[in-house]
Amino acid sequence: MSATPQIADLNRDYASRYGFHDPEEYLHKAPKGLDHEVVEMISRYKKEPAWMNEIRHKALDVFLEKPMPRWGNSAMLDSIDFENIHYYLKPKGELSTDWDDVPEKIKETFERLGVPEAERKFLAGVTAQYESEVVYHSIRKDLEELGVIFGDMDSALREHPEIVRRWFGKIIPTRDNKFAALNTAVWSGGSFIYVPRNTKVDIPLQAYFRINAENMGQFERTLIIADEGSSVHYIEGCTAPVYSSDSLHSAVVELVALPGAHIRYTTIQNWSTNVYNLVTKRAHAYADSVVEWVDGNIGSKLTMKYPAIVLKGERAHGEVLSVAFAGDGQHQDAGAKMIHAAPHTTSRIVSKSISKGDGRSSYRGLVQVARGAVGCKTNVECDALLIGAASRSDTYPTMDISGQDVSVEHEARVSKVAEEQLFYLQSRGIDEDQARLMIVNGFIEPFVRELPMEYAVELNRLIELEMEGSVG
Amino acid sequence: MGDVAVMKRDGVGRPQLAAADVHALSQLLAETPELGGRRLDARERYQKTPLPDRVRHLWRFTNPEHLMPVASALPLAAPAAADLPETPEDGAAALLQGGTRSRAVLSDSARAAGLEILPLAEAGEAAVAALGSTAAAGFFSAFNDAAWNTGLFVRVPRGVTLPGPVHVRIDAGAGTTVPRLLVLVEDGAEAVVVEDHVGGRDARVVGVSEALVGADARLSRVLLQRWAADVNGHLSAASRLERGAELLTVFASFGGSRAKMELAATLAGEGARSRMVGVALAGGGQHLDHHTRHEHLVGRTWSQIDFKAVVSGRSRSSYTGLIRIAADAPESEAYQENRNLMLSDTGRVDTIPELEILTDEVSCSHGATVAPVDMEQVFYLQSRGLDRKAAMGLVVRGFVEDTLRRLPDAPRAAVAALVADRIDALNGGRS
Repeated sequence: MSATPQIADLNRDYASRYGFHDPEEYLHKAPKGLDHEVVEMISRYKKEPAWMNEIRHKALDVFLEKPMPRWGNSAMLDSIDFENIHYYLKPKGELSTDWDDVPEKIKETFERLGVPEAERKFLAGVTAQYESEVVYHSIRKDLEELGVIFGDMDSALREHPEIVRRWFGKIIPTRDNKFAALNTAVWSGGSFIYVPRNTKVDIPLQAYFRINAENMGQFERTLIIADEGSSVHYIEGCTAPVYSSDSLHSAVVELVALPGAHIRYTTIQNWSTNVYNLVTKRAHAYADSVVEWVDGNIGSKLTMKYPAIVLKGERAHGEVLSVAFAGDGQHQDAGAKMIHAAPHTTSRIVSKSISKGDGRSSYRGLVQVARGAVGCKTNVECDALLIGAASRSDTYPTMDISGQDVSVEHEARVSKVAEEQLFYLQSRGIDEDQARLMIVNGFIEPFVRELPMEYAVELNRLIELEMEGSVG
Repeated sequence: MGDVAVMKRDGVGRPQLAAADVHALSQLLAETPELGGRRLDARERYQKTPLPDRVRHLWRFTNPEHLMPVASALPLAAPAAADLPETPEDGAAALLQGGTRSRAVLSDSARAAGLEILPLAEAGEAAVAALGSTAAAGFFSAFNDAAWNTGLFVRVPRGVTLPGPVHVRIDAGAGTTVPRLLVLVEDGAEAVVVEDHVGGRDARVVGVSEALVGADARLSRVLLQRWAADVNGHLSAASRLERGAELLTVFASFGGSRAKMELAATLAGEGARSRMVGVALAGGGQHLDHHTRHEHLVGRTWSQIDFKAVVSGRSRSSYTGLIRIAADAPESEAYQENRNLMLSDTGRVDTIPELEILTDEVSCSHGATVAPVDMEQVFYLQSRGLDRKAAMGLVVRGFVEDTLRRLPDAPRAAVAALVADRIDALNGGRS
């Protein structure tokens, strides 16, 4: 008997698949709340150089001084209790490159999430972050020999301080926004990648982020530098247990695509619906480079994330391809920013969202063309699908264009699943729920086909349903 | 501003409206006690209204400071009388000047049809009850509510189709002009009302006009902004549509230095339909800012916006548009289009077309583009013997006329000639 797939089932099995949690065993757990003492403790624990310590303390002042954003979902934002969060949690065990050395509980967790399996199958390298620290990383020998550096940020700060110091906070300065300042003050973990000149990393590097504890704040810091003519594809995934009180994830991700480089950054965000996901992601794209953000937002309570690309060099190209799913109680406030700062730069933004139940998705975007950036072309397409009378979709695109020789196009459509499509499929003997699912899958197909196969399968499965438990 | 007093600012930077000045305005216009009392209440509300929030998209691109009233709304001397516009055949004409009672002339046929048109200060209970019922919230509307210094009330009785348009000329004058218009189109009635904003010497204008469109009524509103080059102003035009009502709002912005126009329609009755068609033609160092808003409060309502901006010289066009479909408004449709033509390397266009859709049984879309003149079209016309300037002018006209030609005759006639003249002016004079 075949089960009837229902879109309602998206993440219905979250609790059993991702929502479990381990007993908390920590080497160090910072008390709740945030002040200079906590920052000092994190910095000292990591035995950081003085310059990083100074950056952290200054950033904390900026965080405390900056007001909460007055745009977006203020009701949800204002309900974050910054005093009820642990800003640093160091799990037991040391960073390991051997899977067998990872503490048993953590290993079980990642195995349950399918991480080492994925690595064996198709990845060139993996890091796994548990709470505040990266607990495991590996990279294929041949890439290491080519000079590719892939690991966690803390190690990079120790082992490659000159590269980190040159780029850290240069793409996203501390003052950029309140949450970037917060991350800069208390960052821990995250990925560091350096790809040498003309080196092509042809299979993806992956990071997996896991929050385990309740009232946890995860603040990873990622920096990717693709040197001239190189290319790299980085994938990250994230999950957390389901708790009744909220956790906070606030990452800063900085990408540098030097002339002729190509970076693709793929995220499948599937935090549990008690996680605030407030992330700043930005890339600098030099001449003839290509930067692509492929961004899937499925989980979290509130996501605010607008991956940005500053097209700094002539003929640079930027793309943001995103899909968001907002179910009951969720608000996916996501979008993209394209800053055309050099002539003949091009960009494309494709955003797809699905709102279901009382879920809300918002596209918030900026396309800016600076004066003198002649010959720029940009195209934005937003599609929103609404399922249910209480669902909501917003489109807030900003275009700020100076100069004449520029072509800017923006289009958005909002609709429910088309009756005629449903009717057609039903007339072919497909039942209504199945037909609805097919339409939804077709709707997000342009996104899914950009994912590596394993991720595409996983996303389709997420969207599709859990057969177990559904009545056929 | 020799003949007017300068306005002081309060602690937050709000121009101060003394109760005595508000009372004096009421006396000057000889308004009814009801209106006088309402004005004092409005002043109380104004004192509590915050300044425009620049974090919000609505004010992101224009600094409200440039639009603030500087001189007192209470003129020290009566303004020089401007001429009434020519009375349209079968229609009516009116003139509004700050600090004076408005004047109006009706054609015999309009009078016979039952058109009522009189200074707002003299309007009766129906007007007092309706005043402010659909005006947009916000700082400039609150200021107008307390300080309007010339007003007009227009009523088209139930079931009446006006034989000709009502042409209202509003003179920006000198100092601060605060015009207020209230248009009631009762159930089943039909009318065309043209609001023609002209003149000005270093003036600030804070205008509000409201239209209530009754069940199955039809209204065409035309707003022309052709101020002198040194006028700064804020105009807000709001309409409310009852069941089965149809509204066409046509707006065209040509003049002023810094001008913001807010156009809003609330679809409050089932089957209501609202269409907005606008053009902005900016040149020199002008900054023209437009906001459109369609609020679908109930189901089976329809709206469409088509706004086109042409930007030349160092000028700038800013546009924010919002379509909002409420949770209780199923089976609604809403469309929004904003196209911008850039004629210079030093121009700037900002556009934020927004959608807020709170229910699923809807069809909704928007599109925005910014592009230069298609030079292939210009070359083609040149190959047919036109000189470059004429060819450019023709292409720009084509861009705008594509929008205007879909208008019904009455509003189109009022707009098309002005648009053509303005395009010639932007294109460096008639070739």
